[in-house]
Formats: sequence, C-alpha cells, structure tokens
Amino acid sequence: MTMTESELAAIVGRPIPGGTYTIEPYVDWLLNDVVGSPRNGTVAHPLFAYISVAVGKGVSWDEVFAICGATAADGPMFGEHETVLERPLQVGESFTVSGEFVSAERKRGKRTGVFDIVGFRLALTDAAGELAASTYNSIVFPRRDA
Amino acid sequence: MTTTSGTVRAGTVIPGWELPAVSAEKMKTMALVLVDPNPIHFDLDAVRALGMGDKPVNQGPNNLAYVMNMLAAWTGGHEHLRGIRVRFQGNVLGGDHVVARGTVSALREDRGRTLADCDVELVVGERVVLAGTATTDVTHLVRD
Repeated sequence: MTMTESELAAIVGRPIPGGTYTIEPYVDWLLNDVVGSPRNGTVAHPLFAYISVAVGKGVSWDEVFAICGATAADGPMFGEHETVLERPLQVGESFTVSGEFVSAERKRGKRTGVFDIVGFRLALTDAAGELAASTYNSIVFPRRDA
Repeated sequence: MTTTSGTVRAGTVIPGWELPAVSAEKMKTMALVLVDPNPIHFDLDAVRALGMGDKPVNQGPNNLAYVMNMLAAWTGGHEHLRGIRVRFQGNVLGGDHVVARGTVSALREDRGRTLADCDVELVVGERVVLAGTATTDVTHLVRD
C-alpha cells in the first residue's frame, strides 16, 4: 500500500540515527584498488565521504526503505548524490555521522507513472567536533499502485 | 580574477580517465566495503532471476569514484576536490569500458583560492551513466 502524500511529507525532518565510521587503512587500500586510484596513504579517497555515511548512518538500507514505505523489491534507485568536502579526509580518521531526511516529493511522469523522491543529508564531524564533510542523497521510489 | 596562467580557463577540457573493463571481481570487494547486500553486484544467478541479463551491475559509488579519479589525475591529487554533485542515470555492467570526462565551466575566487567549477560525466560508449558538476581547487595550476 503506497503511503499517502501526507505520510510522505511527514518523513521530512525525521532524524537518522547515525553512528561512527573510521577510515581504516586497509579499507582505504581496498577501495583504491577497487576503483583504480593510486593510494596516497595519508589523504583518503574522497569517496569515503559517501562510504562513511552509507555505513555509519545507523540504519540499514532496508530500514531506510521501510521508513519511506517501500522495500528493496519495489526497485528503489539512487537519484542524486552530493559531497561537500570542508577539507581532505585522512586515512585513519574517525567521524561521527548524523543527519536527517530533508525532502520528500511525489511526482507523476507520463512514462514512469507515480514515483517519490526522498532526500536526506548526513554530515561527518571529526574528533575535534568540526564539520569535515556533508552529503546529500536522494532515492527514487516507484509507486506502481499509487 | 587573479589567475596568471593560461592553462586553466572556462572551456578547458579535463583529460579523460578510463577503465577498459569494469571488474566483476572488484564489485565483490566493494559489496563488503559498502556493507551492501544487494546481490545484483555479485550473484549472477540473482541477476538472471531478476531479468537483468548475465552481468553484475557495478555499484553506483564506483561510478562516482571514477569521476573523482579523473579530477585527481588532472589536479594532482584527491586533496584538491571541494565538492561534487551527480545524478545517477544508468547502470554500468561488468566488463563495460567506462570513460570519465569533463570541462571547466567557470573559474572563481574563494577565500584566496582559485576554484574550478566543472561539468563532469561518465560514459559507456556514448551512453551517459552519470552526470553532474564538481568543484576543485586549481590554485596550484593557475598561479605561477
């Protein structure tokens, strides 16, 4: 049963539990190997802004989908991603991850039918309490029975 | 504008970055790095059962990383990236030849640094699978 538009709107402002994430040196090694980037050893690959929030957000993707009234079987898709780096992330650094849902909008397309776009922002705060990076992600949820 | 070198300006084409064949094996490692249980990235039986062909689907963040790699190769390191915003527009499959490319859209000054705003994309053939904008610090490239 597709959530109503008022239920959808109620997602906005809902906090995401968050947690912590450490850029372990061996994971930095593995990531650079996966994506074909030379390893610096000090400066972490900037994709770690995404990885840190994806892993450290404190809820699984299935739980995120459930909050949005969907399951993985509904075929949710990544919409947009934004990373803003206040400074380079360092290998070995630990961050606190925190954030909230910031947007939820229902759209109707002639070819695609009804779908919802839900956005959330998550921030990485370093050990000194300073903002190191922030991210925005949106997920597109097809609503075939809407 | 305080730039003193003609090496970077609006319209400058960023040297492309390419990967001749996306590795299906490395998607398995990435599933662990991302703690992503979606089987379309590693289980060909699941891919076939979902009617998605017979090749694994690359994780979207990998595609984003390829564009970051292009910017790092151009500027001399990942430490120069300030931000990136992209829209995921299509899938990349195991074995695909991907090319990241970009163009400087504007140069601007920010707190004593020179930043390049860039239009970026990742393509498979001529199919755009990811597109957006990025900002990177090019102070060291434009000042003598």
